Amino acid sequence: MNEGRPLAFYGLAAFFALFVLFLYGPMIVIFILSFQGPGGGLTFPMNGVSLHWFYRLWEGGGIVDIAGAFRRSLALGLVVMALTVVLSLMAGLAFRKRFVGSNALFYVAVASLIVPSIVTSLGIAIEFHVLDDLIKNYAPSWIADDFTTSMGQFTSGLGAHLTWTLPFGLLVMFAIFNRFDARYEEAARDQGATPWQTLRHVVLPIVAPSVVGVGLFGFTLSWDEIARSSQTMGEHNTLPMELQALTTTVTNPDIYALGTSTTAVSFAVIAIALFSISILNARQKRHGSDAGQA
Amino acid sequence: MATSRAPLESQGLPGWLQAMPFGLVFAAFFVLPLCFVIMVSFWDYNEYEMIPAFTTRSYTESFEGCLADLPNLCTMLATYLSTAKFCLIVWALTLSIGFTVAYFLAFYVRSATTQMVLFLVCTIPFWTSNVIRMISWIPLLGRNGLVNQLLMSAHLVNAPVEWLLYSQFSVALAFVHLFTFFMVAPIFNSMMRIDRRLIEAAYDSGASAWQMLTNVIMPLSKPGIAIGSIFVITIVMGDYITFSVMGGGQIASAGKIVATRLDALQFPPAAASAVILLVATMVIIGVLNRIVDIRKEL
Amino acid sequence: MTKRHKNAGAGVTRRNLLKAAGALAGAGVVSSFPAPAVWSAEEKVLRYLGTAVNQSDDITKKVLADTGITIQNIVATTDDVTKRVATQPNSFDILDTEYFSLKKLVPSGNILPMDAKKIKEFDNITPIFTKGQLPDGKVIGDQGTAPKKVMFLEGPHSKTFSKTETEWVTLIPTVYNADTLGIRPDLIKRPINSWAELLNPEFKGKAAILDIPSIGIMDAAMVVESMGKYKYPDKGNMTKAEIDMTVGVLTEAKKAGQFRAFWKDFNESVNLMASGETVIQSMWSPAVTAVRTKGIPCVFQPLKEGYRSWASGFCFSKGTNAKQQEWAYEFVNWYLSGWAGAYLNRQGYYSAVLSTAKANMEPYEWAYWMEGKPAEKDIHGPDGSLLEKAGATRDGGSYDDRMGNVACWNAVMDENDYMVRKWNEFIAA
Repeated sequence: MNEGRPLAFYGLAAFFALFVLFLYGPMIVIFILSFQGPGGGLTFPMNGVSLHWFYRLWEGGGIVDIAGAFRRSLALGLVVMALTVVLSLMAGLAFRKRFVGSNALFYVAVASLIVPSIVTSLGIAIEFHVLDDLIKNYAPSWIADDFTTSMGQFTSGLGAHLTWTLPFGLLVMFAIFNRFDARYEEAARDQGATPWQTLRHVVLPIVAPSVVGVGLFGFTLSWDEIARSSQTMGEHNTLPMELQALTTTVTNPDIYALGTSTTAVSFAVIAIALFSISILNARQKRHGSDAGQA
Repeated sequence: MATSRAPLESQGLPGWLQAMPFGLVFAAFFVLPLCFVIMVSFWDYNEYEMIPAFTTRSYTESFEGCLADLPNLCTMLATYLSTAKFCLIVWALTLSIGFTVAYFLAFYVRSATTQMVLFLVCTIPFWTSNVIRMISWIPLLGRNGLVNQLLMSAHLVNAPVEWLLYSQFSVALAFVHLFTFFMVAPIFNSMMRIDRRLIEAAYDSGASAWQMLTNVIMPLSKPGIAIGSIFVITIVMGDYITFSVMGGGQIASAGKIVATRLDALQFPPAAASAVILLVATMVIIGVLNRIVDIRKEL
Repeated sequence: MTKRHKNAGAGVTRRNLLKAAGALAGAGVVSSFPAPAVWSAEEKVLRYLGTAVNQSDDITKKVLADTGITIQNIVATTDDVTKRVATQPNSFDILDTEYFSLKKLVPSGNILPMDAKKIKEFDNITPIFTKGQLPDGKVIGDQGTAPKKVMFLEGPHSKTFSKTETEWVTLIPTVYNADTLGIRPDLIKRPINSWAELLNPEFKGKAAILDIPSIGIMDAAMVVESMGKYKYPDKGNMTKAEIDMTVGVLTEAKKAGQFRAFWKDFNESVNLMASGETVIQSMWSPAVTAVRTKGIPCVFQPLKEGYRSWASGFCFSKGTNAKQQEWAYEFVNWYLSGWAGAYLNRQGYYSAVLSTAKANMEPYEWAYWMEGKPAEKDIHGPDGSLLEKAGATRDGGSYDDRMGNVACWNAVMDENDYMVRKWNEFIAA
């Protein structure tokens, strides 16, 4: 692919750059407007330039429980990310083997993408409402007496998020395992590797980068999810819900300041991650595993 | 040793057992709630409350006038037609953009680390909550927004361009913005599985870059394309927030019908609309799956 | 699984958890669970579900200081609040919602009325709620779901609204207001005095209404009446034919490109106006103030046909126990005792008990907000921001002028189902 590369490469690179610019369009506006003057609003015109809204954000003034919501969303996002990776990897491997009910499971996962999130959210809420009533009425009194609700961020909330992230996880796994060369596994097996060893030392290293991608996908979907969360989080809001609720009264650019800060922190985290990856890579090269270098 | 680590090691887990945790999550948090939804869709209701008595009223009323008013479209048909139109436009756009981006990432970016970095660069905007990003479309595309200011100061237009926001254009734009990456991810992964020797071989036998693209890469990326298409089609069919916010509340969509009903606390017709949407979209996906069986070459 | 010991809240659990040593610690596996904690008599926690309009840090802090009650705010959008009441009555203790939702919420059995006898200031609540009249006795418009129609239930567990005053109050009022059109005088450049202007082709592509069917259609009805097209017996309770006709008018305007956008949130309405996307739209009073504090001219325009009004108030979840209800009464009594009322009034809303709020406001503030007099000094919002310079008068004038000119109230109609179907048809048109 080396010859003839320059022209196509630069053309495509330019296209990619335009695409990134398009993705960052709203971010640019958020960035600019987060420096609004103290009297400015969420839209142009700019009303002076200041760091006022960053100070406000820092002090926590005006915004009800942003820090708490941030932590809750982060915790939930990380758990969702881990479960999405593990469950969809397992399911992806399962689908390679074919099993009874695989067709049904596939369509259920797709259906979960289709049914509007607000409906799924309400369905889960009703389900837990019924569960609450069952517990209150039929559970032994030492449970029932002090019982309030079974709903919560890591029960109904987690479930709701998984019904959103898992279908994506599974289908991306399909793409990952598509035409996956079974000879790697056969070779490993022939040399007496157990299925677990084959998975651990042969399959996983090959698909690892893509699986990391699935995790990232899962986290992003959960982090930004609002419709499914709306009826399932119980008494504590996630970050997008808190922001959504705030928009019913707040019209100040501190939420832009929040957006700018989030992006800045993200870039910092990624820079650090990159640094660590490059160190890890260097180490791996020294220890020499050629899996995944196909 | 094989027995000590049982059962993972024995013969490999049977498929159904491996898929079980995945399946259980869906049984508990999707299938069961969906059963509630389907049940409620057959309940009766009056102005103020639901009545647990069987009726198909929510369905018949949803399709009210669909036969009688022909050739004029009833609400349901008009809404679905409009939604399907957006589906098609957004699908075509995300596919062409997504394919190009994935092609670039898979074949022109060589190091895995650089690929990862570029992926991350595309992901970061989505870590700023959609609630905030949605608000920022007004200052970007609005009458006095950044784009219009640029156009006017470049003397490309004399008056602000109105159709940049609260129009079909802005709805499609926002969808492309949100979902192109859902196309990139599976296509990219599909492309990464293409044996590089195949390409070498095609190249050696004198194929042009274009022939390689159309005869080798495109056919082999089909599963990824199909998966990405499932993402985009299902989400656009069920969406209501983007339609509402970017369309200024004036563009109908199948999801918005459900949302309006829910907000009015009319659960049975909301549930019925959701079931109709599910069936309609399932048909599309079924057909798609017939054309490209994404599970064939796992 | 969330399990709470005698309602100790998450905010204080960590400390108590330490005190409780290992005994209960095992149960709080994931820190984000409201972990179980030891019961202590001082712990008073209420989970308060409502929109961000009435929930603020200031109020939460003041309640804690004055009464020792910890308020856990659960903020949600108006629609989500009602949905949560319908599906998850266990996720909140005290609810703050609008009167017009009551017709939907009371039949669900998920909320309980409050006992008027336990509300100290109940007799001082403005008669708008109990009798539908101003304090001076003037009867105001009661089309739609006027609070007096749904204020009382026949019994503590009744689902029937009582026509006469009873002890059982569906919602103890907290805040209410009269809505009208907001305009950008700098862009319109001429006086506006009628609802009909909303559909005036002059403002083509620059008008907006609410994207909430039951409210949007009321705004449309105000327009239809003011154009002289039709006189509704009750705008808040239309017949099918009236709905068809009203939606028809809206559809025509939509097809002609009259509307720039429909808005749903406070901030949307502010952003539309502030950015100049719209120049005339139905709006809330504090939203107009918010536009104005950004240095952009905006007027909450009084119109000759009158205002469309709304009100909200407090009730319990059916999931509350006797103890929580006691705290809720304590909280509501505090709410009506003046500090919160003054806070609301300073935002441009109205408080339910005028006398106590007045005692908590400076005379010049009261004169500006409630009596429609020119401001003697600069007017500041509850957060200290400058709202108006000295000399300004409030749009629409005094309390009596504004609430006295209410024409109708936000409503749920008997033909609600038909109306929502027609609304979807309108959106698809």
